This record gives sequence, C-alpha cells and structure tokens, in this order.
Amino acid sequence: MRILLAEDDALLGDGIRAGLMLAAYAVDWVRDGQMALHALADHSYDACILDLGLPGKDGLTVLAELRRRGDRTPVLVLTARDTREDKIAGLDHGADDYLTKPFDLGELQARMRALLRRAGGNAQPLLEHRGVSLDPASKRVSFNGQEVPLSGREYALLQALLSPPGHIRSRSQLEESLYSWGDETGSNTVEVYIHHLRKKFGADFIKTVRGLGYQLADEA
Amino acid sequence: MHLFSPDRVNSLRWRLLAAICAVVLLIWLLTGWFSYTKAQHEAEELMDGSLAQTARLLLAITHDNEDDLAELVARLETVRGAEDNIYEPPLEFQIGLGDGSVVARSPDAPELPILGVADYNDIIRHDQAWRVLNAVSDDGRYRVQVAQSIGLRDQAALEVAVQTVLPLVLIVPVLILFIYLSIKRALRPLDLLAREVSTRSPDNLAALPGKRIPTEARPLVNAINRLFQRVDRTLDNERRFTADAAHELRTPLAALKVQTQVARLGGDSPVREHALQQIEAGVDRASRLVEQLLRLARLDPLSSPPSNLPVDLGRLVGETIASARAAQPQATQEIRQVVPETPSIVRGDADLLQIALRNLIDNALRYSPPDCRICIEIRQDGGAFVLDVRDDGPGVAPAILARLGERFFRGQPGSSEGNGLGLAIVARIAELHGARLQLENRPDGGFSVSLNGLHPAG
Repeated sequence: MRILLAEDDALLGDGIRAGLMLAAYAVDWVRDGQMALHALADHSYDACILDLGLPGKDGLTVLAELRRRGDRTPVLVLTARDTREDKIAGLDHGADDYLTKPFDLGELQARMRALLRRAGGNAQPLLEHRGVSLDPASKRVSFNGQEVPLSGREYALLQALLSPPGHIRSRSQLEESLYSWGDETGSNTVEVYIHHLRKKFGADFIKTVRGLGYQLADEA
Repeated sequence: MHLFSPDRVNSLRWRLLAAICAVVLLIWLLTGWFSYTKAQHEAEELMDGSLAQTARLLLAITHDNEDDLAELVARLETVRGAEDNIYEPPLEFQIGLGDGSVVARSPDAPELPILGVADYNDIIRHDQAWRVLNAVSDDGRYRVQVAQSIGLRDQAALEVAVQTVLPLVLIVPVLILFIYLSIKRALRPLDLLAREVSTRSPDNLAALPGKRIPTEARPLVNAINRLFQRVDRTLDNERRFTADAAHELRTPLAALKVQTQVARLGGDSPVREHALQQIEAGVDRASRLVEQLLRLARLDPLSSPPSNLPVDLGRLVGETIASARAAQPQATQEIRQVVPETPSIVRGDADLLQIALRNLIDNALRYSPPDCRICIEIRQDGGAFVLDVRDDGPGVAPAILARLGERFFRGQPGSSEGNGLGLAIVARIAELHGARLQLENRPDGGFSVSLNGLHPAG
C-alpha cells in the first residue's frame, strides 16, 4: 500500500512517515500543495493524508482540484482547525475522513486501514482468500488457521494482491506499493517476494499472467 | 407615543411635517385674516353705497311729490326691509326742508338734526350706534337723512367675511394630509434601507444596494458600506489569526505526540533513535514558541519601553551579530556593519532593542541564500536613527511581503525553525519606541528590513 503524505511541518511529517512505514506502508512525503497535486497526477496512491494548512496551495484547494479531475484516491484530512464549519468544508470538498491535530498515531493508522478497506469495496476488517487471512490492524497473516510470519515487504505485497483479490497487478504496480521514493529497489525484487509468498501459501496461490503481471488464484 | 416624545422630535418625518405644517398654518392664518378684514371692509363699502343711493332716491322722490308729502311718507313707512335677511336691514330716514325742519320720518329713525354736513357719520343715540348719511337736494330745498344700525351692518359684514374664509378652513386638513402623505412617500427609501439593514444576519457584510437610495442618504450609505468593508477585513484577519494560531500551536504538539509514539513502536531500531532526536528538536521548537508568545504577551499591554535610557546602537549591533553568529554557527552568509563615525545614541530599552535586532539578524541568516551578503547599517534620517538589516538575496514575493509581520504568518512555512512571531515582536518593539518597522524589496535587489524613526538621546 502506497500512501502520499502532504504535510508542511518537518517534525510532524517525519513522524507520520515513520509511523506509517512501521505499519508497512510505502510513504511518499511532499511539503506543499502543488507538489501534492503533481505526485497524485504522476503516481497511483492507495490513499493520501493531506494537511489543510499547506503553503502554496492550501489543502482544500488541492482536494477540490483533485476531485475535479476525477481522482478518487481516498483522502484523510489533517488540520489544526477544529470548528464544525472547517470539518464540514473539508468533507464537502471531497475528504473521506478527518483528523484534528494533535492526534494519536494509532488512531491515524486505524483510520487509514478503514479508509483502504472501504476503498477496496470491503467492509470486513480481515482480507481473506483461499485460506489466507490478513488482519491489517494487527498485521498478522494466517494460513488455514496457522499464523505465518511475514517480512514487511512480503506483507505489503500480499496486502496489495488481496485488495481486492482477483485483480491482475502489474510488476510496476506491485513495486509502487512496496517502495517509497528514494528506496533502493532491485531489478527482480518483486519476483523474489512472489517466490517467498508462493513458498508459504502454495505454488498455485499466485498465478503469473503472462505479459500482464500477477493475480491470486480463484477461490477453490 | 407622545406627540413630542424624543422619537418624534428626532424623526425626520415628524420634523418635516411639523415645520411644513407650521409654515402652512401661518401663511393660512395671515391669508384668512387678510381675506376676513378685506371682505368686511368691502361689505361696508357696499352698504355705504346702497345708503347713498337710497338717500338720492328719497331726495328725488320727495322733490317729485312735494305737493303730496303726507301721502309719500305714509307709503315710505311701509318700506321696512325684511326681518330675517341681514342684507336687507330696515330703512330708517328723516326728510326735511332746507331750513332743517323735519317733515317726515320713519318710526324707528334716530332723532337727529338733519342739518349736518352732507357726509357719513357714525353716531350713538340712546345706546344704539348708527351709520348716518346726510344729503341735500341740488336746489337746497330738501334735506334727507338715512341711517343704518351699525350692529346690523356689522352682522352682515361678518357674514360676508365668514363665507369668504370658510373654504380656506375646509382646505387645511386636506392640505396637511397631503403633506403628510408626500413626506411619507419621499422617506420610504429610508424605511426600506432600515429594513434591509435590520433583517441582515451578522455575517452578511456585503455592500448595501446603491439603487433607489435618495441623494441625501447616499453619503450615509457609502459610509456604512465602507464600515462594512473595514469590519469584514477585521473579521477576516481575526479568522486568519485564529486559524494560523491553531495551526502553529497544535502542529508542534501533534508532531511531538506522533514522534513519541513512533519512538515507542520503533523498538531498538534507528527509527527509535531518529524519533527521539526529533522529539528533542520538537521540544526546543515548542519552547521557542512559548518564549515568543510570552514575550509578545508581555509587550502587548505596554505603552512605552520599560526603560528609556540612552542606548549605543553601534555597540548593540556588534554584540548582537556576535551572539547571532554563535547561535547559528552553520550559517555561511557574510555580515557587514555600516556604522557612522560618531556614536549613534538612541533613547530606549537596550534589552528590547537587542531582541528586535537579534530577530532581524536571525531571520536574515535563516532565510537568505547561503552565499548572501548581509549588511547592517545605522544611519541618520532627519534627526532620527534608522537601523537597517538587508541582504542581496532574491527578495520576497509581494504576496508574502504583504503579510510578513502578521502574527503566526510564516514566509517559509514548514521549516522547523520559525514560528511566525519574530517580526511581530520586532514590529511591537518598534512601535513602543515610536519607530516603524519597514519591509521592502530593494530596487537594486535584495530584501531590507528597517526600524525607522528611533529617537536620538539628548
């Protein structure tokens, strides 16, 4: 899962990025509104955390512009303003959720999970497919009831393939959900992690769709 | 409502109505009085005329009937006028010969000698007033005296005058009603305006519509609209200040909280170490913010500097550069001083002036490009001192320049250093010293911040 963080404050931005990376998200961090719009146009993000007090273009403007061009990326708005009018304005401009500073990192992570779940068309908190069950809240994965330990990248790759299952993901899409800007990426790292997952959940759990990418096998 | 209650006395409508009615009534009274007296006078002249005609008729008849006077008198006695018609009073007369002896008279005629001058006379006889006319025939053989009761004459004259003035009386209420309605109609736009203003919600500060406003009320409406604009700007600033303050105060807290939680989740990894460093930086920054806020809070209620002693600006500049340099050892800009040869002594509070200068130098070091040259100059301008801190960097965008100095406004948001209060503090210190903070992009490039109008000591 790849998330865009738009926050102008150096300390807060750094903290949120660290917190999200601990939860195995890939995070790109921009510090002004214009950059946020560019990033959202150039890459595909699973969600965006947007501070309303951005310099250049403020958060509401970014949000309005984003929705105007038809981008449906889920957006969680962060703001120091806590009046009812501010909240209404944020939601009316197209925000999916709202968090007032200061906030709890755990709450931010939970809201991100809920946001991603809803965006994936899934009301269930657990992602399940062919006996594999992934709990985004505890970041635990089990297979046929047995807990399976996964590395952060493996977990992120599995989560990308599971939301929702059945979609074909290209190699570059999967790569994007694994790495933030500036991360070192090898040429065949996705293949390496696919290989790891197949070893843990069975060789036929992930199908290779020639020329297109990867897909989870249908429910047995 | 009482007729002269303050509401009415101050009402334009009632004042106009009262003034116009007073003038109209005065003119009306004068006209009425004039018509009345004039009508009375004319009525008297008419009656005098008929008296004279009667006298001449009597003379002529007497002359023609001199042989049969007794019969004539008997017939004349029957000419008594109508009792109930005041315009036809009873005819009283005496007829006599040239020597003054009376030969015939009406029964009620006043007993007066008829030898008087041939003219009108008002005479009182036996408590009754008479208007009397004596006349003599052309040959002087006969004399005639005709008389009318003045009481009856006055009654007739009064009747004429009253009938003349009566329509005027009836016109008055119509006139006043018409005036009232005209005034009400003319002042209607003001009522509409009042309704427009009174039914507004407090946050509707749009300009009042200018059409259909009477010319006289336009200055008032324009003034109200200007006031609306000013209030709107003030409210805008207030809202912006509250939003900025919320952002500036809550963001560092949010950062501290998030970093703390990251540190706790990060285990023993470098993530934890980094988060702890960030927490430290965050606490430093929050402390600076609290410091600046307290400083502003202490400066706000003052109306003059806490001490007002001679301060050597040149020495202050030297010391402050040294301390600013020590606090930002990583800054690479070159700092130059331009100081007059004679000592520049101003009146003021040395501590506050140092804080102001330090903020300006810190800003210059923090926000100008690393290869910049910063120049701190003291110069005299018409007796007062100017303290100028300038750089040769790219200057500041006009949109940002306009808002610099506003509390919590940051020219370069996101940097973890500033908090948008430094220049506000400098501006306040300048104000306390009777000086002015001036921010400008210099025509030859670079940005200049100066304190203008520092008062020299002595």
